[in-house]
Amino acid sequence: MSLPAGYEQAAWSWTEHLRHGGTRTWTDWLSSGCGADAVVPGGWPVPGAAQLEVVRRLATVSSLGEPAFTRLADLVLGRSAPGRGLAHQPLSWPDPPPGRRFGAPPADPSDVPGEELLRVAAGTLAELALGVPATRERPPRRGLLSRGARVEVVGAPVTAAAVRQRLGLTTGSTGRVSDVVVLVQPFDRLLAEVWSARVQRGAPVRWRGFVRRWSGRPGLPPAADLPGLARQAADRVGAERVHLVGTDGDPTAAVADVLGLRARPGEAPPRLRDLGPEAVDLCRRVNAVLAVRVDRQRHRTALAGLVPALASPGHGDGLTVPRRRRRWALTRAEGLAEDLRSGGYRVHGDLGRLVPAFAGVTGPDRGEELAVALSACARLGEEWTGG
Amino acid sequence: MGDVVLHVGAPKTGTSFVQDVLWRNRESLAEQGVLYPADRFDEHFLASLDLLELSWGGLEKQAVGAWDRLAARVRDWPGTAIVSHEILATASRQQVRRALDSLAGPDAEVHVVLSARDLVRQIPAEWQENVKHRRTVAYRDFLDKITDPARSGALASWFWGVQEIPDILARWGGGLPPERVHLVTVPKPGAPRDLLWQRFERVLGLEGMLDESALTDARRRANPSLGANETALIRRVNERVNDGVLVGDDYRRLVRELLAHRTLSQRRRSARLGLPDDVRAWAVELSEAWIDELGEQGYDVAGDLEELRPDQLGTEALFVDPDHPDEDAVADAALDSIVALLSEVATLQETERRLGQELADTRAELERARGLWFRIRRRLVRAADENVLAAAGLAAYRRLRGLISRSA
Repeated sequence: MSLPAGYEQAAWSWTEHLRHGGTRTWTDWLSSGCGADAVVPGGWPVPGAAQLEVVRRLATVSSLGEPAFTRLADLVLGRSAPGRGLAHQPLSWPDPPPGRRFGAPPADPSDVPGEELLRVAAGTLAELALGVPATRERPPRRGLLSRGARVEVVGAPVTAAAVRQRLGLTTGSTGRVSDVVVLVQPFDRLLAEVWSARVQRGAPVRWRGFVRRWSGRPGLPPAADLPGLARQAADRVGAERVHLVGTDGDPTAAVADVLGLRARPGEAPPRLRDLGPEAVDLCRRVNAVLAVRVDRQRHRTALAGLVPALASPGHGDGLTVPRRRRRWALTRAEGLAEDLRSGGYRVHGDLGRLVPAFAGVTGPDRGEELAVALSACARLGEEWTGG
Repeated sequence: MGDVVLHVGAPKTGTSFVQDVLWRNRESLAEQGVLYPADRFDEHFLASLDLLELSWGGLEKQAVGAWDRLAARVRDWPGTAIVSHEILATASRQQVRRALDSLAGPDAEVHVVLSARDLVRQIPAEWQENVKHRRTVAYRDFLDKITDPARSGALASWFWGVQEIPDILARWGGGLPPERVHLVTVPKPGAPRDLLWQRFERVLGLEGMLDESALTDARRRANPSLGANETALIRRVNERVNDGVLVGDDYRRLVRELLAHRTLSQRRRSARLGLPDDVRAWAVELSEAWIDELGEQGYDVAGDLEELRPDQLGTEALFVDPDHPDEDAVADAALDSIVALLSEVATLQETERRLGQELADTRAELERARGLWFRIRRRLVRAADENVLAAAGLAAYRRLRGLISRSA
């Protein structure tokens, strides 16, 4: 391979190429001899291989033109990847770059591990989420004429939020509750929704860590403790007005059918989004950055901008528990079903539906997560740059 | 503003001792013109988490804005200010630039201090730290990860981030004249007790400021290392408690503090942890390269670069493998742990009993103080749960009370 120029000249010219939306790889750049006559500004620091690769990949998914893309690229290049990982990988070169006998090993940016690219992307997303103007979504208010009885939907939090939104049901503490619906879902999906809800509200916990932690405890997260939710509801409205609804079909239709409601979607989107495992995990990474950057209120506001950018219609497989937690999940599900059966509640459908499906993936896929990250960076980048 | 001294690591080189001395004597130092800006012991740790955007088991929530607050205090101080935390060693060049820009104006003289110990002693110490932070990685796996040239993964990248002395000094001291970059070497075992502190005193500019009594309390808190079998025991405990049994602060208090620091590290006759021959040979070779590089850079060395050269292995120092420990020794350490935990339980139960009694006494006193009107209202509230008329009466009373408070 013929080398075009010195290390810094090649790195600088390639960086300029990328800052202006170029997508050529480092190897390609070197072999083409581009940038041999580049004049490198004094004191210019060579960006890390991971940052440069993220910019290159962003250009392939972003519709931003110049100078907006350059501004977004500079945001990526000007910031260290948050958290633990390789500090700053220099670009690969036949000999160690000048002054680099020690430190992180040089890397061809195309070969930088996805984990490192995700760290860079998560830091960028945190910055963008803090930088875009917050569009505050107000929870739907109850009108004067709706002061009467209302229905509560509890259980799997993401599904429950969607059902509430589609049926125009409000949440809040005013008004008398007439009926409570407890959604019954396979236990592993229920747990995955609880994890998703927690992450969407700011928690930085990993899926595997979340499952491992709860599998060692006697209790369950409150939102997954369906017998506990049903008991609390029965204390308020009586057991005969607590409806356990389990269906393989559309839960909104099932709830509407049980309570004689008709679909009346609210204007605001659901308070929790149905995110794929990769989007939730990415949100978890961004939470880890936001938690140390801003206070809780600002974190929540940033999430209000970030989460919609992570959502994509019809994401892939859902999550299930890792293989070694299956026995625990089964035992738990059977216990929940038994508790619910003995509560005297009205059952619509089959409580056997609580049995884990063990369908889906046991963790997010790094490659897909990176794709979600780049797409979200591009979407938020457009808002951030006004592009 | 005056000079700024940044002590950026490395872990397991006496950093906690230095921070403890600075913290305990911050008022006396301030009177002498030296600022250690901290209102809580872990303030520089929190500031470092903020600068590095690091999660740390939930502690990071307390770190929001901590670096900027620390930097503002340093900028406002007319004399010398000292900032010290070992995790700063992992900072990237961009983070270093942000740190230096925020701490010091153009006229300030910045000094960077790094304390270092020979690699053959640092590697086992780092694994022990990992285990004391609830990791379950086996010793051999740890060694394989850190000796892999790719350094991929959080464990290896962290290790090199905080332990690769030439790179840390290049990142932190790259823009400074070499005489303002200070390397403190940790003396070999058997050296005079105060030698390391004397070196720190010099590079931190504290000579003649603190007397012997200022160091006593910090010495008492010294944190001796664990033996090989004791570390193996903690690793096994981690495997049992990580599944949700102990969370965050409970782990810190019970496993790290009570078991590791206060109980198992006191077993000083237990076999020490070293390196297997292959890793030792690799570490010795790497140390030579480091010593050459550090000598070429011309940094100010407090101590001697020779102290970074690992000792020759004596025939008595056989490697004890913590992945295949002496089970009798582990069982003995476990017995000591049970005794320590029983003693702690007894103390906590006594505290609980005493607090329960105090609470009951306080409630009784409160009840007497509240008098008749409170008891009538409480009865009305209870009746309202079952009686419609009582509920209506209570609602009317509350509305009335609300109107009165709004008009007031």
